[in-house]
Amino acid sequence: MAMVEVRNLKKTYKLGRVGVPVLRGVNFECAEGECVAILGASGSGKSTLLHLIGGLDRPDKDGGSIVVEGKDLTRMSAGAMDDYRSGRVGFVFQFYHLLPELTVLENVLIAPMVHQGLGYTGARHEIRKRALNTLETLGLGHRLRHKPAELSGGERQRVAIGRALINQPRLFLADEPTGNLDRETGQKILDAIMEFRRRSSQTMIIVTHDDATAARADRVVRIRDGVLES
Amino acid sequence: MYILLLPLKYLTSKIMPLLAAVAVLLCTMTVLTVWSVMGGFLDMLIGSGRTMTGDVVVAWPNSGFPHYQDLIKRLEKDPEVEAAAPMIESYGMLGLPTGRPETVQIRGVDGESFARVTGFADILWWRPIDKPLPKDSEGDDLRLRKLRTLSWEQVYQNGLSLSRVNPKTGEAEGGAVLGIAVSGINSRRASGVFEPSVIFRNRSDGTFDSSYDFMPVGGMVTLTLLPLDDSGKPTDTASRIIPVANEYHSGQFELDDKVSLVRLDIVQKMLKMDESPRVVDDPTSPDGFRIVGVNPAKVTHVLVRGKGDYSKLGASGPLAARVRMAYAEFAAAHPGEVPHSEDIRILTWEDLNSTMIGAVQKETSLVLFLFSMVSLVSVILVLSIFWAMISEKTRDIGILRAIGASRSGVAWVWLGYGLTIGITGSILGLAGAFAIVRNINPIHEWLGEAMGIVIWDPRIYYFTNIPSKVETSHAVIVGIGGVLSCFVGAIIPAVRAAAMHPVRALRFE
Repeated sequence: MAMVEVRNLKKTYKLGRVGVPVLRGVNFECAEGECVAILGASGSGKSTLLHLIGGLDRPDKDGGSIVVEGKDLTRMSAGAMDDYRSGRVGFVFQFYHLLPELTVLENVLIAPMVHQGLGYTGARHEIRKRALNTLETLGLGHRLRHKPAELSGGERQRVAIGRALINQPRLFLADEPTGNLDRETGQKILDAIMEFRRRSSQTMIIVTHDDATAARADRVVRIRDGVLES
Repeated sequence: MYILLLPLKYLTSKIMPLLAAVAVLLCTMTVLTVWSVMGGFLDMLIGSGRTMTGDVVVAWPNSGFPHYQDLIKRLEKDPEVEAAAPMIESYGMLGLPTGRPETVQIRGVDGESFARVTGFADILWWRPIDKPLPKDSEGDDLRLRKLRTLSWEQVYQNGLSLSRVNPKTGEAEGGAVLGIAVSGINSRRASGVFEPSVIFRNRSDGTFDSSYDFMPVGGMVTLTLLPLDDSGKPTDTASRIIPVANEYHSGQFELDDKVSLVRLDIVQKMLKMDESPRVVDDPTSPDGFRIVGVNPAKVTHVLVRGKGDYSKLGASGPLAARVRMAYAEFAAAHPGEVPHSEDIRILTWEDLNSTMIGAVQKETSLVLFLFSMVSLVSVILVLSIFWAMISEKTRDIGILRAIGASRSGVAWVWLGYGLTIGITGSILGLAGAFAIVRNINPIHEWLGEAMGIVIWDPRIYYFTNIPSKVETSHAVIVGIGGVLSCFVGAIIPAVRAAAMHPVRALRFE
């Protein structure tokens, strides 16, 4: 059974009074443990597809289905969708999206705080240990008390990776993870992601417009004008 | 946990929320300070209302009523009555050592019984004291020094008996106890103590004399009263020079400035209310009249003190009812001689002060209402600041939603933020109010000395000191109000934050 199964997915955005179709019936599958790169130009709908798979957005009414581990996201309640995002998905964004008031360690710990709720207090020592190990692995052991503004782009993206992985999600989604970095730093970030994948056999979907980044995946699918090309 | 973590982080990293906290601080501080001063003013009014009258007063003003000794006996037999005392109330003129005549209210009292019914013994100012007042750090209170001719204890006893020994005759003469501000001689220092000042008297040649007078030792005043005949018409004025036995300080400026106590027998005599022969015209008599009996002495008031605590509002009503019953029996025993029991005025201390107490109660409520309205500014301020901050923090909201935070979780981050600002501002505001109210009198004195600003004029507010006590219950209510106002101000922005679409929030520029 596929880890992620997308059927006839449609999504339209509204610009004023005009509807702009972004996804026009996308069909896509990703097996468990597989790393798939979705390659496409800017505005092709690749980020929208990732947001829908990650439960950040919902498709159009009667706009197809997204089944992850046998559960259809389009039929989930808002609360169940929150649980899905916090526990089963890890997101990395092009612009890092770290909370500027928090330190490196706190930016990683915020994910388990959200996921565990009140249970965080009881498990905080174990979680903190895990966060420290993750950041150490990412080469940020010496930056724990620094704020995002004090970090380089590569370091910020590594913090974002740490935050995405701390809850040990089954699905890792990355939206242009190297898009804001120079080539050398981008390669290091991809190395880090692949190293984690090697260790935990996570399913990964990476959205990119960069062929070199896409080449690191097991499989590459191309998206153009809201439709996947085989 | 993130609902606790983020508000604390936001609070310490931004100027805007600190401004909101300052607004809450100022509002809570202002409301509690106003409430404490006005509430304390009311408490002082209530507390002082009984100082010079006791709990209940039987009054038949101006003309007075006889056989008051019998009424006092009957009242003191009542198990609920501690003591009763006679009094005459009238207006008169005092000729002062400065040469200035002063219109005053004269109360003729018997020192011993008056002290049992009122707080008279406690408010006599010139008395022995062992140590300076708490505020009198320089120890410049005159009462700490020795007098040349008599002891402070003797001055105090003179005050209690309203008499002073004439050094020439060696006899005790009935006298007066003036309110501390009546003579105009005593100046009040910042430390709360009084000291006689130098008196200047003009001479006919344009020069002047100066002297340093201390009323309880050598001070004399000329008392002028206007007696009324049986029909209530004024007759010839009566004047008499009497010694000043002591001065009192009740703390209620209206009394201290306008009311003087004179020994009862002097006032009775001057107002022709003392015991006198009753005469009828008799042409057969060589003098043209004949003595047929005695006109008993009269007073205008009998003051009553109850045995329990009647200091609370509404508590003295039952005592007044008992006094009315006793008076009815008294009136029945003296038919035609004393006012009818339905006509006599029987008033509680609360009735006597009802106008002032009612006015202050209403003023307190009004001022609190107005300041609470002003405090709504903090709600609007928090709302505006949060609205702006949520626009600034839109991307953070998107991040939180992306990592799984629920809409209610996001809302609670902002509500918690509002609570944090409210709690911080309220605690600091309450602390500020405590500091101000506790030190309000020194602050006021400093304002007066340094900048000439006098906010608390004792001629308007009756008391020489500004109330300086904070009620804990008031502080709790104001504190909760401050926190709630922030919480309410944060609700609309929090709902807005919760309603944000995660993808649109993440893409917000």
